[in-house]
Amino acid sequence: MKNPILLKEFRQRMRTSRAPIVVTGYVASMGILTFFLLYENVQGQLYLFQPARSQQVFTILSLIQMIIVAFLTPAFSAGTISGERERRTLAVLLTTPLSPFSILFGKIIASSALQYLLLLASLPLYSLVFLFGGAVPQEVLAVLVFQLFTIFIIATISVMWSTVALRSGWSTVLSYATVSFMIFITGSIGLGLQSLASNPVDADVARYGQFFLSLNPLWIEAELENAVHSGNAEWVLFVIFYFAVACCLLPFCIWRLRPQWLWRIPGLTRVNERNYQ
Amino acid sequence: MIQTQHLTKKFGRFTAVDKLNLYVPEGTVFGLVGENGAGKTTTLSMLATLSTPTSGKAVINGYDVVRHPSDVRRSIGFMPDSFGVYDDLSVDEYLEFYADCYAVPRAVMQKRRQDLLERVQLVDKRHTYVNALSRGMQQRLEIARCLMHNPPVLILDEPASGLDPRSRIELRSVLKELKALKKTVVISSHILYELAEFADEIGILRRGQIAAVASVSVMLQHSSSQRTLWIATKSSQHVLEQALRDVPEVSSVTYFPEGVEVIYQGTLEEQSELLLKLLRRGVRVSQFAERPTDIEALFLRLTSEREEGGSA
Ligand SMILES: Nc1ncnc2c1ncn2[C@@H]1O[C@H](COP(=O)(O)OP(=O)(O)OP(=O)(O)O)[C@@H](O)[C@H]1O
Ligand SMILES: [Mg+2]
Repeated sequence: MKNPILLKEFRQRMRTSRAPIVVTGYVASMGILTFFLLYENVQGQLYLFQPARSQQVFTILSLIQMIIVAFLTPAFSAGTISGERERRTLAVLLTTPLSPFSILFGKIIASSALQYLLLLASLPLYSLVFLFGGAVPQEVLAVLVFQLFTIFIIATISVMWSTVALRSGWSTVLSYATVSFMIFITGSIGLGLQSLASNPVDADVARYGQFFLSLNPLWIEAELENAVHSGNAEWVLFVIFYFAVACCLLPFCIWRLRPQWLWRIPGLTRVNERNYQ
Repeated sequence: MIQTQHLTKKFGRFTAVDKLNLYVPEGTVFGLVGENGAGKTTTLSMLATLSTPTSGKAVINGYDVVRHPSDVRRSIGFMPDSFGVYDDLSVDEYLEFYADCYAVPRAVMQKRRQDLLERVQLVDKRHTYVNALSRGMQQRLEIARCLMHNPPVLILDEPASGLDPRSRIELRSVLKELKALKKTVVISSHILYELAEFADEIGILRRGQIAAVASVSVMLQHSSSQRTLWIATKSSQHVLEQALRDVPEVSSVTYFPEGVEVIYQGTLEEQSELLLKLLRRGVRVSQFAERPTDIEALFLRLTSEREEGGSA
């Protein structure tokens, strides 16, 4: 199945020199960072071969990468649909028979493609870490897949905010609020609850803390790298939770893009809706 | 074919379109004329499935706009009153994108694109970025865009808005050529005479209601047989009334402080008789001239005459 939006957006986005500049700049700075971290680690050591140390390098590197790419994503995704509305191209797009799913899907993939590229382009840096022992290929693969998924979910939620909020300004605020929730808020609440629960020991509070931590991509990533330990596969909860968030936003997106669809649901009456295009 | 029945759109308490009944047969060009805020855009965006009627229904090409919106979308090419274009896309790519949205096969798309670019006189711009085109060119490109999936129905909302006179003329010649394609077209404008040479039928929209509908050919016939005369005079209205009362060729008289405007249906010879008569009756005429007929006023007069005749 061909997605016309995807083709069009790639043409628009990849045509300018912006994409190659961003990729080159990103890989170069990550390279410098890797070199610096490795140097710090190896410096003054008797043996170059220090698996535990370079495992740390890998962890730090991948966490930094996750933060950068996560915060980069709304910049590309949060203006997609609201931007079309502001540039007055949305009305025509909505008179084509494209389904809201293919519009959203095209926008999500097109606006996150550059970040996938960044993640893939920095893979060779990890091989440098391999050189010094440490990370295992399976781990690197797991982290890569998880990072790709996290970017996809952030792009999805940002594009959905962009559909629901009428202005790019608002959708940018909402998208960054979402990313901040994922990275900072869940992290601090989770860690806070856990430290509360440890003294005196309170299993319930600890479980809540665990729940919040498992919504944090950095925590899940660290878990995948065996840097933290919390038992069962928490990434499952992560995937389910954010999938559910996207599913909750979807009806609102459809309401904006194709309100006619919702009237098939009995009980929903036609409101005097304004024109959202 | 387009048909609406009691089509109504309310925004809160405000009724923007009020029980509109329209019938546009296949192959007809229907001009929707109305001043700002009359409800043209609201009507057309309901037809284009972009907004939904509060009540009533609209059927396009046999499909109900509420119940079968995607069939309606396949049947129409819609040009909104204010539209934007995508940056960083060439004219060719721009048209290709919309053809892809309707899943037009590649070979068909290329042939049609070539044909349409010729029609809208943009062949030499095919590799130019669309955002670098002038407004007039973008407007013509939009018309080509509407036709990329070869829809039987076109819905054009003020296609000539924001253009300078020259671009208007170019656009009008493109629109006139479209008539050869035998599409059903609804086109809106706030200027009646712009549509007169392109439309087959004209409907006047006022505060969300159709005030009048008439065919353009009937109207033009009348406009050639009816002339608007301007008679400037210092004489009192009473004297003029006396003089004009028993002239059968005078169909309407409008009094102004400096004179009168007379709608006159007689021949040129009878017209000179009229001047003589006025002078004989002691009317001091300082100007006696033919004015270009206000086509919209004529139109309303015609339709109101007909309505009165019909109800009598
Ligand atoms: N989304 C909306 N919410 C509330 N009122 C609206 C909305 N859209 C249009 N209206 C009102 O409905 C009326 C008709 O508007 P519409 O845009 O259809 O007029 P129009 O005939 O297209 O005028 P114009 O020549 O200015 O384009 C106006 O009074 C307008 O204020
Ligand atoms: Mg309008």
